[in-house]
Amino acid sequence: MDAATLGLTRRPLRSTELGGVAGRYSGVLDGQDPAGTVLDAAALVSAGQRAGVLVAEGVRGPAAADPDTGPELPRRAASVVRRAMGAEPGVLADLLAEAGRRGYRVPAPMLPGLLDLAGRDVSLRAAVAGVLGSRGRWLARYRPDWQRVAEAGVARVPDDPAVWETGRRDERRGYLAQLRARDAAAARELLAAGWARETGDDRAGLLTVLADGLGPDDEEFLDAARADRKSAVRDEAARLLARLPGSAFSRRAADRAAALLRVERHALRRRLVAGPPAEGTLAQVVGAAPLVLWEERFGLSPKQLVGLPVEGAAVAEVQAGWRMAAVREGNAAWAEALLVGGPEALGSAGAGGMSGVGVAGGGRGTGWRDPAQGRRPAGWPEDAELAAVLTPQARATRGAALLGELAAGRVSLASAGAAAALTEVAGYPGPWPDELAGAVFGVLRRGLAAGPGRWSGPLLAAAARNLPVTGPHDYAAALTELADGSPPIWSAPLRRTAGAVAARRTFLEEIR
Amino acid sequence: MLGLAADGVSQRAAERLASGPAWTGTGSAGELVWGSCAGSGAKPYQVAADLSGPSGPGYKCSCPSRKFPCKHALGLLLSWAAGRVPEQAGTDSAPAFAREWMKGRTARATAAAKPKAPRDPVAAARRAQQRADRVSAGLAELETWLRDQVRAGLSGAAGQGGYRHAESIAARMVDAQAPGVAGTLRRLSPIPVSGDGWPGRLLAEYAQLHLLIRAYGALDALPAPLAATVRSRVGFTTGREEVLAGPGVTDHWLVLGRRDLLDAAVPARRIWLRGRDSGRFAVLLLFAPGGTFATGEGTSAGFAAGGGFGGHPDAGLVPGTQLHADLHFYPGQPAMRAVIGARHGEPGPAPQPDETDDVTGLLDRWSAALGQDPWLAEWPAVVAGVPVPDEPRWRFVDGSGRAVPLLGAEPAWPLLAVSGGYPVALAGEWSPAGLTPLTVWHGDRAVQL
Repeated sequence: MDAATLGLTRRPLRSTELGGVAGRYSGVLDGQDPAGTVLDAAALVSAGQRAGVLVAEGVRGPAAADPDTGPELPRRAASVVRRAMGAEPGVLADLLAEAGRRGYRVPAPMLPGLLDLAGRDVSLRAAVAGVLGSRGRWLARYRPDWQRVAEAGVARVPDDPAVWETGRRDERRGYLAQLRARDAAAARELLAAGWARETGDDRAGLLTVLADGLGPDDEEFLDAARADRKSAVRDEAARLLARLPGSAFSRRAADRAAALLRVERHALRRRLVAGPPAEGTLAQVVGAAPLVLWEERFGLSPKQLVGLPVEGAAVAEVQAGWRMAAVREGNAAWAEALLVGGPEALGSAGAGGMSGVGVAGGGRGTGWRDPAQGRRPAGWPEDAELAAVLTPQARATRGAALLGELAAGRVSLASAGAAAALTEVAGYPGPWPDELAGAVFGVLRRGLAAGPGRWSGPLLAAAARNLPVTGPHDYAAALTELADGSPPIWSAPLRRTAGAVAARRTFLEEIR
Repeated sequence: MLGLAADGVSQRAAERLASGPAWTGTGSAGELVWGSCAGSGAKPYQVAADLSGPSGPGYKCSCPSRKFPCKHALGLLLSWAAGRVPEQAGTDSAPAFAREWMKGRTARATAAAKPKAPRDPVAAARRAQQRADRVSAGLAELETWLRDQVRAGLSGAAGQGGYRHAESIAARMVDAQAPGVAGTLRRLSPIPVSGDGWPGRLLAEYAQLHLLIRAYGALDALPAPLAATVRSRVGFTTGREEVLAGPGVTDHWLVLGRRDLLDAAVPARRIWLRGRDSGRFAVLLLFAPGGTFATGEGTSAGFAAGGGFGGHPDAGLVPGTQLHADLHFYPGQPAMRAVIGARHGEPGPAPQPDETDDVTGLLDRWSAALGQDPWLAEWPAVVAGVPVPDEPRWRFVDGSGRAVPLLGAEPAWPLLAVSGGYPVALAGEWSPAGLTPLTVWHGDRAVQL
């Protein structure tokens, strides 16, 4: 080798110097030209090296994964998932969540692709974590980004106390959740016993498990947790306490708020008067109080309360506070009332330029006129947030009314109001009742002439996820029919949406 | 019938059309079917289909769809299969467009079937002699060049134009009509800049070329198969027709794996096969026409999906399927490169390979093959074992604890997922550097890596 590198003129070589395989065959080598000798020898050595590759011995493979017990997704369902992996993440998350609920797991070859997607897109993590199976969780241990995905799930774990002692984060959460479902008090006590030793992230994650089966006995522990170092833990504890109306926490909040608002009668009309809060904003104090307080204290229904004129500039604060409470409590009755309208005396300019549309088709908008010219209090919950706590039927009626305004042409599709309405409806969770589905088609038909644009993208994406696939109506066929009768520019988006709806139907049939 | 559809969407569209009222003037005579279909245009589309013909069924439709066959042709055939198209006595009753098209089709078929005019044997012999002379002269020149490199010292190669140091001698080999050698020179050209230990690698390559030249010099003394191998590596090609004219090996050929080499000068696809009954391996080599294409993810992916390989009928063979066909092997030893001759059916699903090697068996096969062709760079492998995700490089370990490196630009995560720590059957390409994984079996389903 040295001879070849430096050159034979500088370092001469004789064939007798060669060892190894070249030495053994030295009779065949070129005896006359040293360059030829080198090349011949090198050919022999190279052939020997390539043929006699050394392999590692005594290598052990990785510890095998635990065998999976649950069923694997059937073939056709798996192909639907594969196609969805290239499309909107929303559809994929829904399909996987549905499969996970029924105990299915994805076939092993699909695991790397799904783990990659969920590693990059947080919104997919819970759904993917639910269908990993024991093979998927085993695989995830080899990459830190995949491990984060696996930990987003709640593992179904055996009832072994050792899991609580030494398991991974998702396993411990699963253990606690299972215990909480069986014996709420025991779960709380187990958590409290080891509380001081938990890390901050673990405390926050495990505390949420107490949401299931929440009761007055949890109050003491939650109160203590409100003094935690980590803000996520403090917030979660406060959220849970607010859901306990009998708790001291709730009662204190109610007292503070009750001190600020009173109803006065002038002649035949009632009026709400608000005083300044001792600390914080009026909206915060009102928002922390349970809504039932107002109904009991003033003896009025939510609709009546919301419609009360408010003296002074506090109207926005009071509305904001009630909105926050409605969202926090998930109170459908109050949400309906708040969406229909504000106090009568105020203008009905409405939020965002939409003319008054209410759940019951009422003429009043959610108008409030703020002397500070449209500046809303901090934390004002948008209409869409309130709509999220309505009952599905009430939401469908509201959505149909909103879309009906668009379909009838009273509002331009390009306006901000239309955008707000479409975004809100696109956010409604599925499956959509037929009333809403019909209204969506109405808007699409109206928009055919205008062509697809920013308005249609989110709506079609939401339709792909949420148009119902059980029930008598075949929305995939309806979309295809619409596509057949539309200008060619609509063909691709409508057919794609139809395909997604049809695929969801196939999927559900396969895993039933 | 539905298997002809390009995809599910046109299949469903065809089904809707077949059962709808949009057809007028339909008829059929033997293997020719025709009709007019009302579509979204002003005039109805004229559709015809012919199921006979040496190269398979043909379709004609005046619609603007780019799918082949389009939904109208497919719908017409579905209608016909369902018995809704009236049979006519002869093609005279077919409309003009269908008759014209059919005439054109038969004319083209007969033209293709006519044998090519026989070559002038004297001129051919003269050309062959000319080439042989040029090659000999060129190889002699290369031998001198190789010896000069060694004499002057390989360390000089780094200085001579860096990664293109062999470019000019390679061009001379092309002129000498020895393209195989030219390709090898171009391939080894960047070795001086390839990192530590490059002189050893370069010397090994030079030595292989030197061996080839020595072999070519003694061509007449070599046994015929070895001589054929030597000629092939120098760059003498054997025509596909000539290979097909030789004897074929009939078997059920399992498609083991597929590897695309898109970065080479001419993009190529290697498809590895193994005969179910004979146990013989074979490789199909497909080249793409042109050889340059725009970079960009979309085009390479579409290219690799088979579209770029010019619609070659073998390009779409899918690992995990098996094909009952006759394979004709190119001359040379050991017999590996082949072309598919007569097919005795469509590719169908196949179970996982029943015979697998362990590492020792694989190396035994490899060294035996190398003994027959010392210039071999890769060899097919079907091994049973478990992937070991070590750092810095993954390995594949068999039941006896012997492991080989796993190659590849990225770690083969699907391989690890399918294995889960349990043994699996893996098909791939073996080279002295390690095993390039191509296909792993998950039960009876093949997963491409």
